[in-house]
Amino acid sequence: MKTKFLTLAAGLMTATALATVPAKADVKIGLLGGISGPIAAMAPAMVDAAQLALQQVNEQGGIGANEKLVGVVGDSACNPQNGTDAATKAVNIEGVTGIVGPHCSGAVLAAAGSVTIPAGITLITPSGTSPEISNLEDKGTVFRTVPSDDYQGRALARTMKDQGYGKVAVAYLNNDYGTGLAGAFKAEYVDELGGEITQFAAHEEGKASYRSNLAELAKGGADTLVIFDYGDGTGLTILRQALENDFFDKFVGGDGMKSDAVINELGAENLASFVASSPVGEKSESLDMFNAAFKGVGGDPDAIFANTSYDAAFLMALAIEKAGGKKEGVAAAMVEVSNGEGDAIRPGEWKKAKELIAAGTAIDYKGAAGDHNFDAKGDVPGTYALWEVGSDGYEVITEMK
Amino acid sequence: MEFLGLVNYALFMAIFIGIYALLALGLNIQWGFAGLFNAGIAGFFAVGAYTSAILTTPAADGRIGGFDQNFVVGWIGAMLAAALVAWPIGKICLRFRSDYLAIASIGIAEIIRLVIKSEPALTNGARGISNIPRPFGDLGYTESQVAYLIIVLVVLIAAYFLVERQFNAPWGRMMRAIRDNEGAAKAMGKDVEFRRLEAFIFGSALMGLGGAIFAHFNRSITPEAIDPMVATFLVWIMLILGGSGNNRGAILGAAVVWIIWSVSEIATDRLPHEYAVQAKYIRLFLIGLMLQLVLRFRPEGLLPEPLRGDQRTTKPGVDPN
Repeated sequence: MKTKFLTLAAGLMTATALATVPAKADVKIGLLGGISGPIAAMAPAMVDAAQLALQQVNEQGGIGANEKLVGVVGDSACNPQNGTDAATKAVNIEGVTGIVGPHCSGAVLAAAGSVTIPAGITLITPSGTSPEISNLEDKGTVFRTVPSDDYQGRALARTMKDQGYGKVAVAYLNNDYGTGLAGAFKAEYVDELGGEITQFAAHEEGKASYRSNLAELAKGGADTLVIFDYGDGTGLTILRQALENDFFDKFVGGDGMKSDAVINELGAENLASFVASSPVGEKSESLDMFNAAFKGVGGDPDAIFANTSYDAAFLMALAIEKAGGKKEGVAAAMVEVSNGEGDAIRPGEWKKAKELIAAGTAIDYKGAAGDHNFDAKGDVPGTYALWEVGSDGYEVITEMK
Repeated sequence: MEFLGLVNYALFMAIFIGIYALLALGLNIQWGFAGLFNAGIAGFFAVGAYTSAILTTPAADGRIGGFDQNFVVGWIGAMLAAALVAWPIGKICLRFRSDYLAIASIGIAEIIRLVIKSEPALTNGARGISNIPRPFGDLGYTESQVAYLIIVLVVLIAAYFLVERQFNAPWGRMMRAIRDNEGAAKAMGKDVEFRRLEAFIFGSALMGLGGAIFAHFNRSITPEAIDPMVATFLVWIMLILGGSGNNRGAILGAAVVWIIWSVSEIATDRLPHEYAVQAKYIRLFLIGLMLQLVLRFRPEGLLPEPLRGDQRTTKPGVDPN
């Protein structure tokens, strides 16, 4: 029996080895995603969006000297164990030039730490938002197309200070989204800007009443409540009960709170003192181009992280083209193709980009999810704005910097 | 696919097998020899991983430590911490019979996971700890993996010989007696509660060591690693398939399951690319199927527990068949 299993394992390996031999001059990139595991519902759309970018590249002349760009899908299952396994296979067995993904921060940290950084492979994640990714000692090889969780919290703190908010109380949902945002907000508002947070409390989701939490929060005499939660979930309950009982005068939310459910449930007339931060760029030309293309292949453009996944794959293709297909040059090229200088390239404009790169002209990718423009840590600044409730839904008050 | 790529992949697999073999050895002490159904492996794995991470990382803001110690200190600390956490848990939970112990230990692993996720001052919360030093991590990709594999192998072989020696000693016989007939062992004057606690603590310490080795290999540890699927149930499958009660079986089981788990993905990648996403589920199916087949056709595992002592089954009037 033991030999049978060993034979099976050996057989699988041999089959694999045989199947990989006829390697054409394809250029491969790894598309690692949490296909099985906690984000299994989100991952297929993200992988499809990345595949769309590769399809466009191949339709418009391919990469390098007419070579085909092939995406190798790997399952990182949203955990470090499978993330490193998938990354090792992509790098060593498939011989990928770069990796798009993994999707979850923990898998990104592990795959980068044990595989891509030592192997010198460039990695770009479309959805790893952990601030830890910024601090990796990555020799400039780790990028992302989604802003760090840190960014929004800090930008919101700065904007609130500018808008003249004083003492605030903070209520946040006890998960990585809520704690990440609240922590960044607190660090900026109190430590950097000298503001005052009277109460800073986590809450669990799904309770019927948060009145006791709110009474506790109101104790310090703050007139503003900052809520880091979801506007179609617990955040709505908290906002409603705070309004009903008059605990606070003003309310501020993170991007999770900018939900239509809040307006529909509470009524715009009651929300005059409510503002929320949320990404802008939602109406850019680039996004329209991506939406049209993604609909064309049967995808849902509103799927979460679909546009960042597309951008990550397209940027990887541009960087590989710019680097002439050499693994070592991809990281440096990645910075060059999206640094705010050069001719604008929008989603799907592969042919134009290819010609410009061949001519040696600088290009600047303006993606579906934003302009990107990587900083020294491979992070992208978000483009956030503060929104208020107008007669016609949410309206921008000011950009957040 | 270059030759060097295959070497790198094989090295990576060997390191992972080594880590999982340590977890399976730890579980073998608990289940194979003491009959304790611990379904909370992930918890002790996590305690070890985080302890070593805190001990060996450079000082960081916002959380305890790091203490910038040598990795050896971190790994010993990981074993001690996992043992220390196991002690009160065992003290309370080992009074349960086997299936209740399983339920309690699942709950405990979940508590440990939630504490790790919600205590930023201790573990940096949901962000996890990164930039953990890897021994010989400054070498090139392949060399660094070779060096790490050697360390893992040294640890694994040492653990194997120590555990094996312990099992063949009177202590091992006593543990099996307690497992097979608790009443009789008690009647012989054995302190059953204390001995079970011993087995629980030894096993947990090995699991903690496995966690520490994992964290240093990946240079990071996050709450996502404490996923019961890959940190608890996969280890159980390894032990059941390899043969519980047999240390070599535990190691073999870790190797076979991990190889199938990892290599099957390469095989399923050969399916047409429209099925690229769906194909990923085939390996989950394969592991489940394999467990079913083993339980049906070879419940004692690939390498069954060796029969010890007097093996003459022929007694007057008893048909040996």
